[in-house]
Amino acid sequence: MRLRNLSVLATAALLVASACNSSGATPAPATTGPGASTVASAPASAPAGNVAVKIGIELPLTGGEAPNGQPTANGVALAISKLTVPGFTITIEQKDDALNGHHDPPTGAANVTALANDPAVLFVVGPYNSNVAQAEIPVSNAAGLMQCSPANTNPGLTKTWGGVDPKTLRPTHPDQIAYVRVATTDDLQGAGGADIAYNVAHAKNAYVVDDTETYGKGLADVFATDFAKLGGTVLKRDGIPTSTTDFTSYITALKGLTGLDYVYYGGVTTSGIGVFRSQMAAQSMASIPFGVGDGAVDGSAATASSFLNLAGADGDANTYGTVAATHDIPNPAQFTTDYKAMFNTEPGSYSAAGYGCTQVFLQALQAVGPADGSDLVKLRADIRAYVADSSHSYDTALGTFSFDAAGDTSQHIISYYGFDAGTKDWKFLQQRDFTANPMQ
Amino acid sequence: MSVLSMASTRRSLPNIPWRTVGGMAIALVVAYLVILNASGPQAQEQFINALTTGALYALIALGYTMVYGIIELINFAHGEIFMCGSFVAYLLITTFGFSGAITDLPLLAGVLFVVFLVSMLSMGVVGVIIERFAYRPLRNAPRLAPLITAIGVSFILQNIVFVGISNSVVSVPKLIPFTILNLGPVSIREINLVVIVLAIVLMVGLQLFTTRTRLGTAMRSTALDREAAQLMGVDINRTIAITFFIGAALAGAAGVVQTQYLGVTHFRIGFQDGLFAFTAAVLGGIGNTTGAAVGAFVIGFLQVISSAYGYGRWNEAIIFATLVLVLIFRPTGILGQQLAERA
Repeated sequence: MRLRNLSVLATAALLVASACNSSGATPAPATTGPGASTVASAPASAPAGNVAVKIGIELPLTGGEAPNGQPTANGVALAISKLTVPGFTITIEQKDDALNGHHDPPTGAANVTALANDPAVLFVVGPYNSNVAQAEIPVSNAAGLMQCSPANTNPGLTKTWGGVDPKTLRPTHPDQIAYVRVATTDDLQGAGGADIAYNVAHAKNAYVVDDTETYGKGLADVFATDFAKLGGTVLKRDGIPTSTTDFTSYITALKGLTGLDYVYYGGVTTSGIGVFRSQMAAQSMASIPFGVGDGAVDGSAATASSFLNLAGADGDANTYGTVAATHDIPNPAQFTTDYKAMFNTEPGSYSAAGYGCTQVFLQALQAVGPADGSDLVKLRADIRAYVADSSHSYDTALGTFSFDAAGDTSQHIISYYGFDAGTKDWKFLQQRDFTANPMQ
Repeated sequence: MSVLSMASTRRSLPNIPWRTVGGMAIALVVAYLVILNASGPQAQEQFINALTTGALYALIALGYTMVYGIIELINFAHGEIFMCGSFVAYLLITTFGFSGAITDLPLLAGVLFVVFLVSMLSMGVVGVIIERFAYRPLRNAPRLAPLITAIGVSFILQNIVFVGISNSVVSVPKLIPFTILNLGPVSIREINLVVIVLAIVLMVGLQLFTTRTRLGTAMRSTALDREAAQLMGVDINRTIAITFFIGAALAGAAGVVQTQYLGVTHFRIGFQDGLFAFTAAVLGGIGNTTGAAVGAFVIGFLQVISSAYGYGRWNEAIIFATLVLVLIFRPTGILGQQLAERA
C-alpha cells in the first residue's frame, strides 16, 4: 500500500515536471540565450538618469526551428550591442515560441501576453511564423504593443486575403495597427518561386504541395496560380499534414505525372520538407528540380536540422529557394563582419531583418523618448503610434523603407537562391523588385 | 487437466482460421484494384508501400494489443518505446561510423543483426522496467491511475530523448541499398522486402510462441482469467513481465525499421505513429494479435489510398472516420476482441 501511494505521488510529481519542461512559455532571462546567441547583458545598474527599457524577442529558438529563429534573434542582439539611444538603457527580453521543437501559436500568444504585462517592454521583434502571428496580433493589438516581424509573409496578416479582412485579427482596436513587418508578402514570394521555376529552371509541369499550415498553403497557392499565368501547368496539387515522416506513397504518385519537371513545396523545414526531398532522392528522383520558400532556406547542409541537412547530399542538388527580403543590403560586408565577430558564424537569412526591425524601434524611441521621459506607458503607446504612422521612413541595415497604412514594408523584393554543390550552401542568384519589375 | 498441459495436446492440431485468411485475401485484391484505379502503372509500387507501412504499424500495434489483452491497460508509453528503439538504432549506426548503404552482404547482415538485437533487447528491458516500477504497483488501483501513469512515462521518455539526444528531426543513414529486385512479375525494393518479411517472421514467431510454448500458454491463460491462471500455478508477475518484454522488443524492431525505411527519426514520432498503431489495435479488435496486424495493414492501405487519390490532406480524418464507422457497426473490431472473461 505504501509503495503504491509513493508511486502515485512520484507519478504526479513527474507529470508536473514534464508539463513544466515541455512548456515553451517559460520566461527566459534577458541575459541568456540558446546556441550561439550572445544577448546584450543588462548592466548591473543603469547609468544614472537613464530609463531602463526592454525590447522583446518572440521567435522559435529551439529544436528544428533554431536554424530559423536563432540567427534572427542574433540580429536583434547585434543591433542592441551596437546602437544606443541617449537617455535609455535597452535590454532584451527573449521568448521562445517553439513547443517540442516546433513553432506553436498558443505558446506565442502566451509569450506576447507575458511581454505585454511587463511595462518595460516597449516593442517586440517577432514572430517568425505566420500562424503564430495570427495568434499574437490580437494580443499585441489589445495591449497597444508594437510588433515588428522580420519574417512573416502570409498576406492575410495585414491585407484582405481569401476574402478575410485583417481587422478580424484586431478585435480590440480594429483601426489601430500594432503589427508591422519588414518581410515581403507571399503574394510576391510565390510569384518569385514561379519565376524561378519557369524562367530559371525552365520547368513547364509542376507538382505543388504544401504542409497544410497558413504560411505553406498560402505560398503554394500563389505559386500554383502564378506558375500557370506564366504558361506552366500544375499537374497535381497536394497537401501533406505536418506530422508526416513517410512520404513514400506521395513520391511514388509523382512517377505517374507525365512530363513532371518541377516540385514546389510550400512550408517550413520542421514540416518535413527536407525528409520529403531525401525520400525523393532515395527513389532516384533528385534530378527533378525542387523549389521551396523562405521557411526552408535556413542554413547550409552543415547546419543541423536545416532543409539542406535533412535533404541529404543527393537531395540538395537542383534545389531553389526564395527569401522574402532583400539580399543586397547597403553594406553587406560590414554587417557580415560585425555578425561574425559577435557570433562566430555566418548571418542567417533573416539576421539583417531582425537588425532592421530593431532599428525601427530605436528610431521610434529616439523620436518620442525625449518628450515621454520615464513614462513607460506613454512610451509604449507613442512608439506604437510612431511606427504605425506611414509618413515615417527608416534608415536601416536593409536600406531605407517605410510602412504603409496596413503595416507592410515599402520594399517589395524577393531574393532568389540555388544550391551550390561546392559550398554546400544556398548561393544567391538574383533579387527582383516586384514594384519596379512586376510579374505580368 | 491444467491449462499448460492442454497446450501440449493442442500442438498437433494446427488451427488455421481459413475464414480470416480468405477475407484478408479478398480485401487485398479489392485494395489493389482501388489503388490501380488511382495509380495506374504505379499500382504495384503503391501496393508494396501500403504493405510496408502496414508492417511497420503492425510491429507497434502488437505491443499495444498484447498489454491491453493481459492487464487491460492502454500503454501510452508504448509509442515512445518505438521512438526510443529508433534512437538506439541511430546511435548504434552513427557510433559504428556508417554513413550510407552497405553493399557487402555479410557485413550488412551482421550489422543489421546487431542493431536489431541491441534495439530489441534494450527496449524489452525498458518495457519490463516500466511495468515493474510504474504499472505493477497500480495493478489493483482504479483504472485511471495506471492510465495517467502511462501518459507520464510517455512524457518522460520523450523528454529524455528531447533533452539528451536531439530536439529536432534526425537523419539516420540507411544501410540497406535502395535497389530494386525483380522477382518475376513483381518489382520490389530490397528495403520493402526486408521490412515485410521481417514483420511476417516476427508475427508468425509471436503466434507460434503464444500457441506452442509453455510461456505462451501462460500468457494466454493470464489474459483469459488471471485468477484462474494463478490458481493453476502460473507466475502472474513473470508472465506479465514477459508480455511487456515481447511487446517492447517488437516496438524496438519497429524503431529500427523506421530508421532504415524512412531514414529519419524524431522524438515525437512515438506519439504520431503510436496513435495510428493503437488505432490499428482497436480497429482489429483490442487484445487480438491477429486483429492488430489486420488493423495495421488496413491503416497502411488507407494512408496510401488517400494519398494516391490526392486526399493526403485528409489522411488522418479518413483513418479515424474508418475507425468510428467500424466500431459503430462492429464494436469489437474487425476480428473481435480477446479480453479477460468476467464472472
